[in-house]
Amino acid sequence: MMDRAIRIGILSVAHLHAVSYIASLRMIPGVEFIGITDDDEARGLAFVKQQNVRWYPNVDALLSDKPDGVIICAENVYHEPLIRQAAASSVHILCEKPLTTTLEAGRAALDAVKAAGVTLMTAFPMRFSAPLREIKTALTAGALGHIHAINGVNQGQMPKRHRTWFVDPHLAGGGALMDHIVHLADVMRWYTESEAVEVYAQSNRIIHPDEAVETGGLVMITFANGTFASIDCSWSKPLTSYPTWGGLALDVIGEKGVINADAFRQNLTIYSEADGRPISGYWGSDSDHAMIAEFVAAIREGRAPSVTGADGYRATEIVVAAYRSAASGQPIQLPLT
Amino acid sequence: MTLRVGIIGSGSMGTTHAAAWMNTPAHVVGIQSLDQPARERIAAQTGAMVYDDLDALIDAVDVVDICAPTHLHHDMILRAAAKRKHIICEKPITRRIADAREAIAACEAAGVMLLIAHVVRFFPEYALAQQTVVNGAIGNVAVVRLSRCSYPPHRDNPDSWFHDPAKSGGILLDLMIHDFDYARWIAGDVESIYVRSIKSRVPDAPIDHALAILRHISGALSHIEGGSSYPPPTFRTSLEIAGSAGLIAHPADSSMPLTFRIAERAATIETVALPRSPLDEDPYTTEMKHFYGLLTGTITTPRVTADDALQALRISTAAALSAQTGKPVFLAEVE
Repeated sequence: MMDRAIRIGILSVAHLHAVSYIASLRMIPGVEFIGITDDDEARGLAFVKQQNVRWYPNVDALLSDKPDGVIICAENVYHEPLIRQAAASSVHILCEKPLTTTLEAGRAALDAVKAAGVTLMTAFPMRFSAPLREIKTALTAGALGHIHAINGVNQGQMPKRHRTWFVDPHLAGGGALMDHIVHLADVMRWYTESEAVEVYAQSNRIIHPDEAVETGGLVMITFANGTFASIDCSWSKPLTSYPTWGGLALDVIGEKGVINADAFRQNLTIYSEADGRPISGYWGSDSDHAMIAEFVAAIREGRAPSVTGADGYRATEIVVAAYRSAASGQPIQLPLT
Repeated sequence: MTLRVGIIGSGSMGTTHAAAWMNTPAHVVGIQSLDQPARERIAAQTGAMVYDDLDALIDAVDVVDICAPTHLHHDMILRAAAKRKHIICEKPITRRIADAREAIAACEAAGVMLLIAHVVRFFPEYALAQQTVVNGAIGNVAVVRLSRCSYPPHRDNPDSWFHDPAKSGGILLDLMIHDFDYARWIAGDVESIYVRSIKSRVPDAPIDHALAILRHISGALSHIEGGSSYPPPTFRTSLEIAGSAGLIAHPADSSMPLTFRIAERAATIETVALPRSPLDEDPYTTEMKHFYGLLTGTITTPRVTADDALQALRISTAAALSAQTGKPVFLAEVE
């Protein structure tokens, strides 16, 4: 017998991942996608028209329609108030990364979902990347022994052309450090099964110097188990000449050898006269879809998702430490209070 | 008049330099080394005389080419300068900063050239990337990424100088100085460096690997990776330079025109890994031709100066201090 449909809505379409999340929701059997709301009515209505989805005039209206879960795709600074609002309505939550931009907001979010007894999942799709999962399996089987070091890159194009708020210091909470540390920081925590004890970071604003936020960044994280791991989070991919948005790659250096991984290597190189430059055609598995499926499954099975709000909080803690380090020039000890 | 070269040392670098000199008009007339079979091999290949005595070799040549272990460079440079002979010396210039300053001063006083073999500046992909930056194709340099990873030098002798940090300086000096020098060539003088390494945490680890974050005075950042953590026969290097108006990318393994997958070949592993790409002129020959031009006056501007070598040594020394203390080190704090 088929269970009743799991009903999901989206709070804010500020982040364009909303488009692919809706496509995933529509592909999963037993899911009813109920619609969206957005505090920017013009943006929301344009989205409604373009994507042919139902519009709710505000968050309360959507929550009153009794969804089982919501996906928050708001500007970073609005994640926490929306989490509290959804939790107060006893709705399960998948929140776009970074979970929050400050530790205070992160704690408020975790407290709210705990009090309400709802699930909070952080949108870390790399946990669901097929190549990165294969590494996790190998690490669990002891293929590398102790992980000495990880060299990670998560560089991208400066995302302003998708949405201008990405480069707004207030709405985004920062620039490249806020945008591109958390994915790898979370993967590193997942692989090492250890927490960060120290963070060092340097940043600059040489690329796109007219923006108000940092565009270049290098971070070094030391974990409690001794692993040291670096992240290049720079918005350093050229806007018009680079074949794709960016990428995520890491080298895992262990006692028994090294694993080199490029999570987005599974692509065709397409040379079309129409484009004027080579274009990457990605044919690998869709990690966003696997992440949405996990959110739905966690709701349906009444269990915690495989990546949680607590994971989101730890990643934000690393980002906050990186900003403090970049400002002071000195390593910052964790946990932060 | 033919330029007479005397090589000191017959390890992988002595052998490589000897072969490179054969592609120049200079004559390798002497070889001095403690390794009898290796020095005989170089002598047979070049026609050089074998010397037991270092000073006798220096007396017999116009140019001394020092390919001896790092901790011996200082003394050998001083001895060659004292006899007013030009000097080519493998990187690093010396093991310690004060020794490098003394060596440079001695060469200046003697009026002889001191040319340090930072060969990466002569690798065509690195030279082209540098020229591309200078030409302005990518605007202002923002973030530089350099990586150089291989396997541990496996010498028969466990007491080999390579394995003794007091003599070789370990990977932070011996290996990563290549990319410290290159990063400085690309992005200018370094303000601070922060390093994490396996050896600084696990001193008796059989491998080493280090990650370094550099801040240049220009505001540019560099991420530099060096390691002996890969299984043989891996030798992979990569470079990426991001600027305000573009990006230069040279990922590891991306530009090898040939891959031999023949079972028997895998059996041969060199004691010290050297990067190779099929070229009409290998980078060591390019380097030696450049040095020949400087020594004979046909080239007037050195691609790498003794001061560049000193500055690279200062970065490596700061790197070692950072790895040891766990703190960022400002180059101004280093002598």
